[in-house]
Amino acid sequence: TGAVGLYNVGQSCCLNSLLQVFLMNIRFTGILRRITVPPCAAQKRRNVPYQMLLLLEEMQCGKRKAVSPINLACCLSAYRVKLFVQYDAAQLFLTLWNLIKRQMKKPELVEELSYLYTICVQEHLACQKCSSETKRNSSMLTLPLPVLDSNSDMLKTLEDCLQYFFRPEELTDHNMCFCEQCGRKTPFLQSMKLVHLPQTLTIHLKRFCFEKSAYVHKLSHYLPFPQDLDFNAILTEDQCQADDNEKATWQYELFAVVAHSGSTSCGHYCAYIRSLTECKWYCFNDSEVCQVWWDDVKCTYGHFNLHWGETAYLLIYMKKHPQ
Amino acid sequence: MAQWQEVQSLANAYLEQVHQLYAGAALPMVVRQCLAAWIEDQNWRQAAEPLSSHARMLFHSLLALLGECLGSPGLGDEDFMLKHNLRKARRDLQAEFDECPEKFANVVANLLQEEQRILRLGQAGGQGGAAPAPSTPQESNREQQIQRRLAEFHVALQEAERAFRHLEDLQDTFDFCFKVHYLPGEDRTSDPQYAQQVQALQAKLQILDRQRREVLAQMQQLLGRSETLRDFLQEELGAWRERQQRACLGATVDTRLRPLETWFTELGQGLFQLLQLLRALGDLRQKVTYERDPLKAETPLLEQRLRELLIYLLQRAFVVEQQPSMPNTCKRPLVLRTASKFSVRARLLVCLHDRNHRMEAKIHIDRDPPKIKGFRKFNILTSNSKTLLAGDSPQDGLVCDFQYLTLKEQKDSRSGKGSKGAGEGPLVVTEELHLITFTLAYAYCGLELELETSTLPFVIISNNNQLSSAWASILWFNMLSTNPKDQQFFSTPPPAPWPRLAEVLSWQFESVAERGLSREHLLMLAEKLFGSKPSPESTLAWSKFSKDGASGFSFWAWLDGILGLLQEHLKQLWKDGLILGFVSRKQEKKLLKGKRTGTFLIRFSESILGGVTCTWVEHPESGPPAFRAVVPYTTAELVSLALPDIIHDYQLLVEENIPENPLRFLYPDTARDEAFGPYYSQRQEGNLMEQKKYLNRRLIRVSSRQANESWQTEEELVAATENLETLQLQPGGLGTQQPGDVAPLQPGSSGTLQPGGSGTLQVTSGNLGMLQVMTGSPGTLQPGSPAMLQPSSPGMLQVMATSPGTLQPRSSGTLQPGPQGLEPLQPLQVGSGVSEVLQPGIGELEPQLVLQLVPEGQGTLQVLPRGLGVLQHVGPEDQRTQQVGPGAVEPQLVLQLVPEGQGMLQVGPGGLGTLQVLPGGLGTLQPVARDAGMLQQVGAGDTGLPPPVLGAVEPLLVPEGQGMLPLELRDTESLPGSQDVQELLHSLVEELEPGSGMLETLEAAELMPNMLEAMDGGLEGLGPGLAGSAALVDPCDPFLPQLEDPTLPAVSSLFTATDFPPLHIDANDFQ
Repeated sequence: TGAVGLYNVGQSCCLNSLLQVFLMNIRFTGILRRITVPPCAAQKRRNVPYQMLLLLEEMQCGKRKAVSPINLACCLSAYRVKLFVQYDAAQLFLTLWNLIKRQMKKPELVEELSYLYTICVQEHLACQKCSSETKRNSSMLTLPLPVLDSNSDMLKTLEDCLQYFFRPEELTDHNMCFCEQCGRKTPFLQSMKLVHLPQTLTIHLKRFCFEKSAYVHKLSHYLPFPQDLDFNAILTEDQCQADDNEKATWQYELFAVVAHSGSTSCGHYCAYIRSLTECKWYCFNDSEVCQVWWDDVKCTYGHFNLHWGETAYLLIYMKKHPQ
Repeated sequence: MAQWQEVQSLANAYLEQVHQLYAGAALPMVVRQCLAAWIEDQNWRQAAEPLSSHARMLFHSLLALLGECLGSPGLGDEDFMLKHNLRKARRDLQAEFDECPEKFANVVANLLQEEQRILRLGQAGGQGGAAPAPSTPQESNREQQIQRRLAEFHVALQEAERAFRHLEDLQDTFDFCFKVHYLPGEDRTSDPQYAQQVQALQAKLQILDRQRREVLAQMQQLLGRSETLRDFLQEELGAWRERQQRACLGATVDTRLRPLETWFTELGQGLFQLLQLLRALGDLRQKVTYERDPLKAETPLLEQRLRELLIYLLQRAFVVEQQPSMPNTCKRPLVLRTASKFSVRARLLVCLHDRNHRMEAKIHIDRDPPKIKGFRKFNILTSNSKTLLAGDSPQDGLVCDFQYLTLKEQKDSRSGKGSKGAGEGPLVVTEELHLITFTLAYAYCGLELELETSTLPFVIISNNNQLSSAWASILWFNMLSTNPKDQQFFSTPPPAPWPRLAEVLSWQFESVAERGLSREHLLMLAEKLFGSKPSPESTLAWSKFSKDGASGFSFWAWLDGILGLLQEHLKQLWKDGLILGFVSRKQEKKLLKGKRTGTFLIRFSESILGGVTCTWVEHPESGPPAFRAVVPYTTAELVSLALPDIIHDYQLLVEENIPENPLRFLYPDTARDEAFGPYYSQRQEGNLMEQKKYLNRRLIRVSSRQANESWQTEEELVAATENLETLQLQPGGLGTQQPGDVAPLQPGSSGTLQPGGSGTLQVTSGNLGMLQVMTGSPGTLQPGSPAMLQPSSPGMLQVMATSPGTLQPRSSGTLQPGPQGLEPLQPLQVGSGVSEVLQPGIGELEPQLVLQLVPEGQGTLQVLPRGLGVLQHVGPEDQRTQQVGPGAVEPQLVLQLVPEGQGMLQVGPGGLGTLQVLPGGLGTLQPVARDAGMLQQVGAGDTGLPPPVLGAVEPLLVPEGQGMLPLELRDTESLPGSQDVQELLHSLVEELEPGSGMLETLEAAELMPNMLEAMDGGLEGLGPGLAGSAALVDPCDPFLPQLEDPTLPAVSSLFTATDFPPLHIDANDFQ
């Protein structure tokens, strides 16, 4: 047990942080340990889940303070995840997850993995002229939450962001859609209803904004998030499309925070993870790991006047009462 | 303490874990013990890394040290076993790890780490109790957390420095090898040795790269942790600012900066150290760099982040330690007076500076003045800049202390009107907020920036009488403002939530007299403000708090008046809880109702600025309890006689001529002397044997009243006697001297006093029907001093005897008009004009009549009706007049004044019920004989007299009256001045006798309460015509319907009618 660091092998702080989030998740490692070992060495080298498993073993067996993820990094580079490139953690998370899923051969594991991470929503699009409505089920790996509202005002809390995200939106003017019944472009009401939430819920705080076309800058303002998150308290009845049994499980506890410091052009990632076995928080800065407290995690809320400090970027919540 | 020592001092449960740890460990405990200090000093973790040459070096050092141990003389023969074990251990280690020293390094590193873990658990468990704590040590209070984190931060910083030095070594080695072996100019590709060397170089570079990344990771971690510390310190500083603000308002809180200063300095120091480390890292990159050098991208990033953190910390660390205040009003800071000295002090909590660099602090007033029309501008006189002083001792910190500053208003030449903001701007002077801003050019370790901090807003006044309302502004601002720099706060001052206001008001009392307001006090204040019980949502508007109300003064002015009174006179009593203080009349009745007769409480007047009074309860033999209160004492009175002494000596003249102190038990039931004993001032013990030129004298306060229980008010008698003791020594003496006459003189008793030199006796009787005259010692009366009478309240009648010896008619005239209330029937003697005269009293709270008798000039009696509505009405129309003074009125019985003890009742002419005393009065005096039970009417001729008198009243009654005097009076004048008053009176009485016929009984009739009874009796006997005059009589008298009479004016409560619902007198109270 305990936490083991990962050496930085070339701007790999982002990868390291995500790997820690995966590997500290005992539900994920429970699946990972059951993968089929690829038969030959070449395949082993190129198999992401297998390399992750090797890394996990290495981290857990040795009493070393940190191990080097160089083999996994090499393996990933075959899939165009290169070293010495600064990635966006949310994007890398999706890439990594998809690689893992694709390379897990057993269908039951794939299913379990999907179930563990996938959010299901139902998108509604209703014509405001006739009442025709189209629904579409879709799934997501993260909830990409804006941190500014449509007027570019800062949202105050994570709960506000979630509410804003699930708020119905009117599509008017040049956003109008073509309605088949009306036979012309009409205003629509677009809304999203939550159908299912996974065991491991990843929330992506979109802490950046595009200003003057190409220039992206980071939003480091204060945005608190709770340790305990109850979706039933956040969403209204008509923002959900789930039965009571499902809803009863929508009680979450914070598991990890992937935090970013620096600017959009250059920066550093680290991960704050609550060990599920010890119930202690750790901070992973590449090879440096140390025990921290909730107060340290709170420092990633952001700050109105400080732009270079750590701010939470990905929040990973876990269900309190797994089914 | 070294780690191994600490481990050994662990509790057994944890020691057991340590034993288990070493049971199977490759490092025997004996070696650990033997080389404890050395082992702890090495960086095993570093050495444990693959390919580290460090591990081999450490391993061999260890073996060598063990060898030394074995050979050292310190181990004698008795340590034979120890030697044996060490030798064995050395052999085993060498055999096991010679090939792979990194493994050994790893083993040791892990053992040390595990020891630390057990140590933490053990220490946490030891604090929290015996049970081993499986969880992490509890983060207890914030202060401990900060200290623990600061310690951890320093440890981590040292580790980072160690890692950095290791990196330097690695780099030097690499650099050397590289320069020696790498020869890019030549084509050596074929040379296998060269290839090998290049490969080795490559490997070294790998290690170097990894070490660089590790050091960077460590720094990232350090910065992350210091951000938490930054937030903690920021939080603590915020809490301190709040405390400082509360302290300014009078709360007693800890505003020491020392802990914060220590923390800020420690963190600042650590961060500056880190900054230097980062710079050194940058230097390393200058020497050796390579493709994808992590230092290249990350060092600037780290430095950026670190600088931002440092700047933030320094900016917060510059604080105003002492808000601007004037030395003489230090309990009310933030109020400055132009041209008066004040001081203000700022401090930089990060106590780091370069001694070679002078840092200058400057102050500016209103750097960004609000755009308010008429906003006054000021200059700070004397210097506005100062070098930041680093005190000689490091404990002093970095302080810029500005003392002896003064403010001078800038005359604005353009406006041409000076800068009188009051008339022009929307804000009055006391609502105009000013700020002083400090700036400091800070430079340290290559970091330069300008720090800035501002005081809380303050008010600038030009006169001390603005102090109270300026302070109200300061209270309001600091209680409610969310922005400490909001100079326009009073453009739209927010209302104050009651709970917050209550707290702040309580602090005012706490800071003045060390005792805050209780829940009951606050409840009373809330009811006063809101008219009902406050809800947590109740709010009070600024204008209602600070602007004058209908009562003529604001709530705050009233409260501040009480604060002033406490400060000056009642501090100790308030502090010790003897003053109930804020009690409404209703509440006071509730409290006292069930208590013994003579139970009293002390409360603040609600209608007089800075007044305090006593209310006591009496339980008559039948009927409801009666509550009585004295006219509030203010600073004017308390300055000459302290409240405990007033209470101690207070006298009430009651029946049977025995004056008594009605104040017997302090609510709830502490005996008076027990409660107040410690506060009485020292008595001057008179030595009777000694011949003195003067008698001692002591001031006491006396009230007299009629027996009639229905009267709510008492009169207060202030008599100054000389030599009270003497009087007391001769109880009855005076009485004896006076034959049968006027009982009212009671020796010992009441205030018999005599004005020694001045001769001014003032007797103020509140309501009474009683006459009191008291001369202490007759002989002492000094006829000569004419001036004696002083109308204390404007409405008073005064009679003054100008010339001694001579009775002046007026004096007799001193009679005062009876209370109207009683007799509706009454005659009318007073013209409506009169009623006005009476009205001056109206404003006063307790409508009472105050009679003042000044005996001095013997002739001079003064009776002043103070408050009363009491006058007689003239015809029915006049009834209005009665009501005129809303405040004024408690319907009271008519006053009867018997000048000096004659004990005379006076009935207005014409048989009016109203008592009036007419100047001509003597003639008009009517002795009531007890026995006789008769009221006597004034002769018809007299009736004519009264009106003039009344008219005369406002000024002084006299002149007209004089003309009216009956012959008899004139005769009295002829009496020798030297005579005692009593004698004089007596003689008057005798003279009267013939007329009255009732004289024999006269003595009895004296002011005594029973007189009323007598009167009652008399009334019965009287014909219907007389019945009117009976009005004087007790309201309880079935014949007198007045109480129920709706036309009776209501007694005003202590407050003005607009603010507070008037109290209606409950008829039950009388019956």
